[in-house]
Amino acid sequence: MLLNRQRLKYLYLSPVQIRGSAFIQKGEWNYIRKMIWIHCSCLCDIASKLHFTMNVPKTGYRVFSANSSSACTELAKKITERLGVELGKSIVYQESNRETRIDVKESVRGQTIFIIQTIPRDVNTAIMELLVMAYALKTSCAKNIIGVIPYFPYSKQCKMRKRGSIVCKLLASMLAKAGLSHIITMDLHQKEIQGFFSFPVDNLRASPFLTQYIQEEVPDYRNAIIVAKSPSAAKRAQSYAERLRLGLAVIHGEAQCAESDMADGRHSPPCVRNTSGHPGLELPLMMAKEKPPITVVGDVGGRIAIIVDDIIDDVEDFVAAAEILKERGAYKIYIMATHGLLSADAPRLIEESAIDEVVVTNTVPHEVQKLQCPKIKTVDVSMILAEAIRRIHNGESMAYLFRNIAVDD
Amino acid sequence: MPNIKIFSGSSHQDLSQRIADRLGLELGKVVTKKFSNQETCVEIGESVRGEDVYIVQSGCGEINDNLMELLIMINACKIASASRVTAVIPCFPYARQDKKDKGFFDIPVDNLYAEPAVLKWIKENIPEWKNCTIVSPDAGGAKRVTSIADRLNVDFALIHKERKKANEVDRMVLVGDVKDRVAILVDDMADTCGTICHAADKLISAGATKVYAILTHGIFSGPAISRINNACFEAVVVTNTIPQEEKMKHCPKIQVIDISMILAEAIRRTHNGESVSYLFSHVPL
Repeated sequence: MLLNRQRLKYLYLSPVQIRGSAFIQKGEWNYIRKMIWIHCSCLCDIASKLHFTMNVPKTGYRVFSANSSSACTELAKKITERLGVELGKSIVYQESNRETRIDVKESVRGQTIFIIQTIPRDVNTAIMELLVMAYALKTSCAKNIIGVIPYFPYSKQCKMRKRGSIVCKLLASMLAKAGLSHIITMDLHQKEIQGFFSFPVDNLRASPFLTQYIQEEVPDYRNAIIVAKSPSAAKRAQSYAERLRLGLAVIHGEAQCAESDMADGRHSPPCVRNTSGHPGLELPLMMAKEKPPITVVGDVGGRIAIIVDDIIDDVEDFVAAAEILKERGAYKIYIMATHGLLSADAPRLIEESAIDEVVVTNTVPHEVQKLQCPKIKTVDVSMILAEAIRRIHNGESMAYLFRNIAVDD
Repeated sequence: MPNIKIFSGSSHQDLSQRIADRLGLELGKVVTKKFSNQETCVEIGESVRGEDVYIVQSGCGEINDNLMELLIMINACKIASASRVTAVIPCFPYARQDKKDKGFFDIPVDNLYAEPAVLKWIKENIPEWKNCTIVSPDAGGAKRVTSIADRLNVDFALIHKERKKANEVDRMVLVGDVKDRVAILVDDMADTCGTICHAADKLISAGATKVYAILTHGIFSGPAISRINNACFEAVVVTNTIPQEEKMKHCPKIQVIDISMILAEAIRRTHNGESVSYLFSHVPL
């Protein structure tokens, strides 16, 4: 029972039965009333504080996971453990005709909901699960719905490619329509993707965890050099190199076909040369870029080479980079990446290559790949995600989470 | 026909090819592939600037993948300056979770009916059709069944059941008479086929001579095929809104009605700005 000040007044004024008392003097009676008043008001304060602290996990916010496979809910479980809350009760499954069905088993009326969604191999199903869950919560009158999507899918399809689609923009519109009002993600492939959204996007960074790993787990890291596997990754590599006070090297060449070459903006297909027609206007053809053979700019002789990137997916580029680094004298090769997608036969290629260790975070589930290739190590980032959730819910500043981040990271 | 392009998603290329053949067009060039991280990538292979684009994609198989592919294709066409993009979705996914009613969409919806094709099939393939009974396996399909029964000028019956939970049936009561007649079960979709197999047993035990099942969408997931093989159907007829070649190999009772001409005619009429309501009661040749 919550005592409020109004009721206390009546308690104070109305006669109070005190057990075991025979006869009370008037002066004593006033003293007793005063004591009761003080104790009641103290109790009232304590009771209201208890009400606040005890009920914040229950009525403040809820955390749901919209994944159907148990490998994906691992990260959600770690985050909820750190927050000290229970994962929301819901059932997510695929029916026999492959339709996704979601059942939310508790009331979410008027609450702030965080949906944690990790993206496994089956990307489209995971997206659908997230959309269905968000819409279900929206129609159940949740106050606001915040998506926690550590690895944001389709982030590589964020530029116009010939007659393709900017899927990232499509996805952003779909998430807004489904009812999300805020997204927490990690290491977006292109920071500009934040502009596709009509609501706030918090782009957390995994680099503090990875730099800590380098400082703690790489023996003799002061003799290391940070390597960018292509010129487009040079900015990120430089920010790591600055923070660790190490040197920088860049790999450039034929084998490194960067995706920026494939995203050719609005090229129409080349028009057929009309020799019979118009004699006047002949636009000069663009000279094809000549790619030199693969080479390393910078000195890696006798050092540990650490390649940093945001996503490690198809590993052919990394394997080629490791080859050339080995040739130039690097004696150990590490790869640090935030999102370890490791598709197709990446584990086998890594196992057979010159790479010594691949370090990824647990934003993308990769247990199967770890079993196939013991060179893969995991860094847990649930701490920063849990902290972000806590701060957003309490309305606190997130600046602390970005304090050591360079402009180019 | 000028200014029209038809693209096919990867869910039902056969139907799209038939539609294109009936319209006398070639299917548009589009490359749909998946990256190694299972992300879908779509690239339209020809210019769609200023064209009226139709994308044919059915909600079957891996529904979420096909849905995503459809969305990406529509998006790609819009960015490439198509003048109008229409999605042709023979089997609309997630239709049991929400109603695919006109009021739920902000854009024009044309919901075509397979009924004319079904009527034509019955007249051509069931010799005793003049003396048959059309049966609905549940009370919700009564309207559909009475409309067919009226056009054929035959009787109808329905089976009333109490369900414990979805995809499991409880008691079934037959309302109407099927004794010594051919019974034709009509429903809109068959997923695990629990309902229609129970209904068939009920009809046989009530005295029907033969039982046919005619379903618009044959999803046939889970134990459906084995259930049909063990049940007492004369034939199970579905339309080709969902590809059926694989299932027909496992179950000889399945027959297919081709509805590509209805879709092709709808596309032609929409493109020319004509009325589509003719198709609600007639099957184009």
